[in-house]
Amino acid sequence: MATGDNDDVGFKDRHESLMNCPSSQINTNPVSDKVNGMAMSSISMYNKPSNASDSFFGSGWDPIVSLSQSESLVGSSMVSHSEFANSHYPLLMENQGISSTSHFSQYQSDPSFVELVPKLPGFGSGNLSEMVGPFSLPQCGQIANSKCPQNYALNTEVGNERTCTNSTQSRDEHQLSDEGVVGASPNGKRRKRVPESNSPLRSYQNADEEPQKDPSGESSDVPKEQDEKKQKTEQITGVNSRGKQVAKQAKDSSQTGEAPKENYIHVRARRGQATNSHSLAERVRREKISERMRLLQELVPGCNKITGKAVMLDEIINYVQSLQQQVEFLSMKLATVNPELNIDLERVLSKDILHSRGGSAGILGFGPGLNSSHPFPPGIFPGTISGVPSTNPQFPPLPQTVLDNELQSLLQMGFDSNSAMDSLGPNGRLKSEL
Amino acid sequence: MSPHHPNPSSLKSRFTTRFLRALTKINAQNPISSSSPREILQRFRRIKVAADKSMAYSVRSRRTWSRAMRWKLRSRSWRQASSVRRLKITTSCHQAIMKKTAHERENKTTTGEGVGFGVQTDELRELVPGGEAMDLCNLLDETAHYIKCLTTQVQVMRKIVDFYSP
Repeated sequence: MATGDNDDVGFKDRHESLMNCPSSQINTNPVSDKVNGMAMSSISMYNKPSNASDSFFGSGWDPIVSLSQSESLVGSSMVSHSEFANSHYPLLMENQGISSTSHFSQYQSDPSFVELVPKLPGFGSGNLSEMVGPFSLPQCGQIANSKCPQNYALNTEVGNERTCTNSTQSRDEHQLSDEGVVGASPNGKRRKRVPESNSPLRSYQNADEEPQKDPSGESSDVPKEQDEKKQKTEQITGVNSRGKQVAKQAKDSSQTGEAPKENYIHVRARRGQATNSHSLAERVRREKISERMRLLQELVPGCNKITGKAVMLDEIINYVQSLQQQVEFLSMKLATVNPELNIDLERVLSKDILHSRGGSAGILGFGPGLNSSHPFPPGIFPGTISGVPSTNPQFPPLPQTVLDNELQSLLQMGFDSNSAMDSLGPNGRLKSEL
Repeated sequence: MSPHHPNPSSLKSRFTTRFLRALTKINAQNPISSSSPREILQRFRRIKVAADKSMAYSVRSRRTWSRAMRWKLRSRSWRQASSVRRLKITTSCHQAIMKKTAHERENKTTTGEGVGFGVQTDELRELVPGGEAMDLCNLLDETAHYIKCLTTQVQVMRKIVDFYSP
């Protein structure tokens, strides 16, 4: 057992450092297949990226990588992988529970894994082994049963491909079936595709973060943050980041809702910025907010020079209030005015409103009912109007006659305001006379 | 100015047609001639509601604020209908929604804005219909859309008013 655990850790180490471990590769391959079959999509998901990223990884490493990355089942994946690596099939079946716990204990020994244990409770299950138990045990068992060390080499290629294809499918299924994993899947994707860590320390951190991810499968944002963390520089000490994660886990869990919705934003920490997964998520949020503020700034007139969210917000509030007051005022005005509104008018009016910008607000002085001044009353002039296509047949002797007709012509004028404008010239006043 | 043929199904056109239709209906109901202040006030209120309603319905209900506004209007109309049963349903629905929004608000506050303007955010929330149940990010989004719709509304209404009076 102990050896198995040690091997497991070393296994991961090697994997992380891109060292070629043919045996482990082979082992992982069939495992990944089985994993997919078990709907351990997280694992398969990761296989895909790892495959793409590094051919070296081959199939063997994929499951392991995916395992570590999959947030959904830390323990299970780890256990299964570790088991596979060791080629201790019987061990797998028998020692699933033990291996998982021992596995974790191994992690715990590592300082970077310090947070691992406390994080598990956040996942909803106080005990990691408990959490892993239901997942990993049955799966591990199945995996163990199915895989055969000798077949690994043969299945390498096939397994990889299958894993890749399955990973997407399983990932989808997984996402659909297990909401807890939703965050995980994206997270897995976000995991670094190319293994960047060359140092054993990094590998430890990665492995460390990965198990953390599994328990946090339920809270998508945590794994998301973990992914982000991984993506960024590996210089960060696991302890530091993890501590912050734990602290903010509760806080971020409420924001988790956002994470699954957006298909994971790939965030890369900029140089000199904190790479804590939590702070990364925070930064993403802040950027979104500032982007929206910028949009609002364009909407609200006169806010170009304002810098600063607080002042900007005040301006926005004032503007919205003023708009609402304007609506109220205008509706009050409408209440006191406009008796003549009827269907035709409405149609005409709507056209006017829609088609005439700026100037059309001025309304022609038609007749007693409405005196509005239209900037271009070309319609009045039959002669000039001929050029205007929109002229309505009823264009008549105007004014007082039929409101509708006038309005129609007026509105249609609005249509062709351009053409009408030219001919307007001297005729501008005619309307009022009429 | 160049004649622009606006998108026939744009927000502006939709709102315009709806609002005008409502206006005609209102005008048909009460003859303007009898303009006692109380009636005017009544008309005013109706027109205001009509304006809000047509705005809310013109918006593709993809927006939270429009949905919240519709809900508010509907519940208000139900209450005015003074049907006891309806009232009960309304109030129960309202309570459920309020609870939900309160819960969400708690979540929001606990998660923390992270940016530190709480007072203005609350104010903004009051202004934008349905703003209580949104986090800052979405709230800003909704505010932008709401501002756009409000400006459209003001434009159209101003044109109407200008059309009808010198």
